[in-house]
Amino acid sequence: MRWGMVINLAKCTRCHACIAACRIEHFLPLGMTWPRLIAWETDIPGEELSTIPVRCNQCKEAPCVEVCPAEATKKREDGIVYVDNDKCVGCRYCIIACPYQNRTFFSKDKDPGYFPGSERTRFEKAGHKLYEHQAGTTEKCDFCLERIDAGMAKGLVPGKDREATPACVNTCQARALTFGDLDDPNSEVSKLIKDKNGFQLHPEYGTEPSVYYIDYKLGNAPSNVAPREEQTASHLQHLSTMEARAKQIFGKK
Amino acid sequence: MSEKKIIKTTCKSCHGGCGVLVEVTDGVITHIEGNPDSMTRGTMCAKGLSSIQHIDNPYRIKYPYKRVGEKGEGKWKQISWDEALDTIAAKVKEASEKYGAHTVATSQGTGRGYNRYTHRFSRSMGSANVISPGYICHSPRIGLYGLITGYGRLYCDYHGWGGVFPKTQISWAKQLEISSADSEMCYWYMKSLDYCKNLIVIDPRATAYTSRATLWLQPRPGSDAALALGMINVIIQEGLWDKEFVENWTYGFDKLKERAAEYPVEKVSEITWVPKEKIIEAARLFAIDTPGCIQIGSSLERQANCGQTLRAIIDLMGITGNIERPGSMVSWVLPETGLIEDVFNEIPLTDEMRSHIYGGDKFKMGAARTCNPDTIIREFIKGEKPVRVWISVGGQQIVHMANTNQVVEGLKKVDFMVQVDQFWGPMAEMSDIVLPAAHWLEIDDIYDMHPRWCIEAHNKCVDPPGEAKSDAWIFNELGKRVAPEYWFKDVETLLDHQLRKAPIKWKKFSDNIISGCYGPDQVYYKYKTDYWRKGGGFPTPTGKMELYSTVLENLGYDPLPYFEEPGESPYSTPELAKEYPLVLTTGFRSPFYFLAQYRNIPWLRSFMEYPTMQINPETAKKLGIKDGDFVWIESPRGKIIQKARLFPGIDPRVVAATANWFYPEASSKGFRGVFISNPNILTNDAHQDPMYGSPDLTCLLCKVYKCKPEELKDPKFGDIFTKEHGGRPWAW
Repeated sequence: MRWGMVINLAKCTRCHACIAACRIEHFLPLGMTWPRLIAWETDIPGEELSTIPVRCNQCKEAPCVEVCPAEATKKREDGIVYVDNDKCVGCRYCIIACPYQNRTFFSKDKDPGYFPGSERTRFEKAGHKLYEHQAGTTEKCDFCLERIDAGMAKGLVPGKDREATPACVNTCQARALTFGDLDDPNSEVSKLIKDKNGFQLHPEYGTEPSVYYIDYKLGNAPSNVAPREEQTASHLQHLSTMEARAKQIFGKK
Repeated sequence: MSEKKIIKTTCKSCHGGCGVLVEVTDGVITHIEGNPDSMTRGTMCAKGLSSIQHIDNPYRIKYPYKRVGEKGEGKWKQISWDEALDTIAAKVKEASEKYGAHTVATSQGTGRGYNRYTHRFSRSMGSANVISPGYICHSPRIGLYGLITGYGRLYCDYHGWGGVFPKTQISWAKQLEISSADSEMCYWYMKSLDYCKNLIVIDPRATAYTSRATLWLQPRPGSDAALALGMINVIIQEGLWDKEFVENWTYGFDKLKERAAEYPVEKVSEITWVPKEKIIEAARLFAIDTPGCIQIGSSLERQANCGQTLRAIIDLMGITGNIERPGSMVSWVLPETGLIEDVFNEIPLTDEMRSHIYGGDKFKMGAARTCNPDTIIREFIKGEKPVRVWISVGGQQIVHMANTNQVVEGLKKVDFMVQVDQFWGPMAEMSDIVLPAAHWLEIDDIYDMHPRWCIEAHNKCVDPPGEAKSDAWIFNELGKRVAPEYWFKDVETLLDHQLRKAPIKWKKFSDNIISGCYGPDQVYYKYKTDYWRKGGGFPTPTGKMELYSTVLENLGYDPLPYFEEPGESPYSTPELAKEYPLVLTTGFRSPFYFLAQYRNIPWLRSFMEYPTMQINPETAKKLGIKDGDFVWIESPRGKIIQKARLFPGIDPRVVAATANWFYPEASSKGFRGVFISNPNILTNDAHQDPMYGSPDLTCLLCKVYKCKPEELKDPKFGDIFTKEHGGRPWAW
């Protein structure tokens, strides 16, 4: 099992919701951003081609794990690379080693709260209790491993069941993020990578990222027939209050 | 032992509607996420999620205040709610008695649920002068759908309830993917694209979807009517129109055919700058690969040719038979609660009230239930006093109206102004009394963003800060003081009253969260049934869909659509174009801001610190502008500063400026930075749509040049361009 993510660049609208969802999920302090949108540039200086959503690639051959002298950055059997903040000594070797620049050092001097000069908000205070960020350590995206672990303990499937799936994947309105097991050839992520020519960012770095990208032309759907589920709006049907009235107005059914 | 509960509610951070789950632990919101059991399936955008930084924001307005200094001086004294409401009520009564009820105007921002209260309040005290941004956003569409099909609301059928999704979709001057605006939801649109064969995007600048669309048409801003008429002409010339629908259910096809013939594709290509092959291909795809729908953006309603542009696009839907068919343009059957707007319709406008609608004699379509705000400002500038008391809720008229300098001069002459708001902005700084408004996470209310097929509930999750109150409470209390016969004991009674047509009360509805008509209960092809007319047909004077509008004819307008150049363009004002050579569109929106909102939310401001303008690298090179430079954009009305972004996705002859920008962090003097970067400093109210009075906000002429570093240090800009984070007391 190796957890991975496919980011659909055709569907992604660069709306930044994944970033906001992550900030809520992890009570991220000022200056801390786990997923980001970065400019994807052409060779022509000043000409930006597009922006691209990035987050920790959870590399199979993760240089951050290798350089960590405190054994604070570790890789789990399911492929997730995480930081044990109790062990991290804040040397920041990993920040230099990460070729994708997806790690951030959390410095206390730079944390005056989101509203410097004002009392911390109720949400910020709650965050300190519920999800402590340790000053002087390094942080990064960990695929919401708490959600994955708690969900799987309940028998849920990450990528399929919301409770076991990363927060950014759940919130995406374009449904541009897909999560699942890269080792399972029948998983949604594996199929997307195969069918839509999934690619990794800078494969030449040789780190084997678990985050893949796909891009293609929208449209081209072979059929516009709505599946049964959409026709009946079954996800809402239990809340319908209209049936009686529809009968009355249209004499149907 | 901590107490944790999950509350279901409905987001209103844009026009809203997304289902939300809010986790409240010991009275504090500890988590927000989408509700998977809602029509948006658990998804939420950055705006809605960042509400957490909105409700706890230390810069909220928390108490009622009265102004004790000059307008824009920022000197305020905290007062009690009773003093505030009694003072406002006395001013309203005094103005009504001395000068007539019509001199009391109620204004609002974009429709966010308070429409019902502003209109009911205004009508209950006898005035039809409601000032709304509707005339530049959505009202023209509603009105013209009404004229042509008889029923005022046509929406894209993104749901698949009729068995199919749209096969061909046109997204016209619209980015539904970045906000749930104008009664449609971005989630529905993006889901329907999974079933779409052809996606045609019509936009003067590249967006996330233009490069991935089947076809991208890049017209010159303001030329859209010509493009639509050109497409109609191609479809008719090639015999691709829906013969059955046109013959049986439309009126005036032959006359439309004649009119469209005036727009041959070569001529249209010259006007619009769109290659003729693309116009032909778009027309063919839309006519052949049916059903299809057209998502229209409000940028088209911010143009002086807005009425006829929309008429042409609606006629394009008509001749292709894309009306009331599954997967096309559909008017929804309302939920069992009926039209929630009836809460103000039940107080009808009298002829007397109508006769005092400002701009009503000139902009006949726009005056259906609101006045023309530009007309009021011009009256003030002339030295008249059209409005004595101006009660404003939520909106920033100073920011969104044309010609900001003139608007500010006009508003300084209003005797008494009230602003109901959550944060200090230009309108609050202009006011005499400021009232603190509650956020959607802090109120009980009914969500009804224009009559779509459902209504939803906003359920209160936490207490508002200080003494902030819901809009429903504020208007009910004010109403009770001014016209008690029309108002209610308390907010719950007011909410019950709005649900009166259904066998449901607020408490139960609040639990249910949604009331809707969907799936197999929704009805298509209504014109083939007795729904609108006995024996079938549309509820228009001719009983048909009026491609040729008999109503417009009677009102003295051209009954057929036509193209007219914008008030300023390289073709209509070639002399002016020598000095101001670039076409400027101000229709540039960001997915993490909604209109004038959210520049004070740290998480959202972190995504775009300064207003950004897009300019083609080729043009920028000629002007010596580099990516990231601050530049001046100048028109005959004034000049503004924005940050340049070199962007190959825009025509070298066009630049796009970010709209609706003021600086909440700026001082009261200068009305919170409204004169620094707001593109409406540049726009002109002189050219207005004859039907709706919409001015040319998204198509005008400008010149662009680099801003010198020392100019950014001008003391009138404060710390905005010089200090880190603009000297803001919030950061990211």
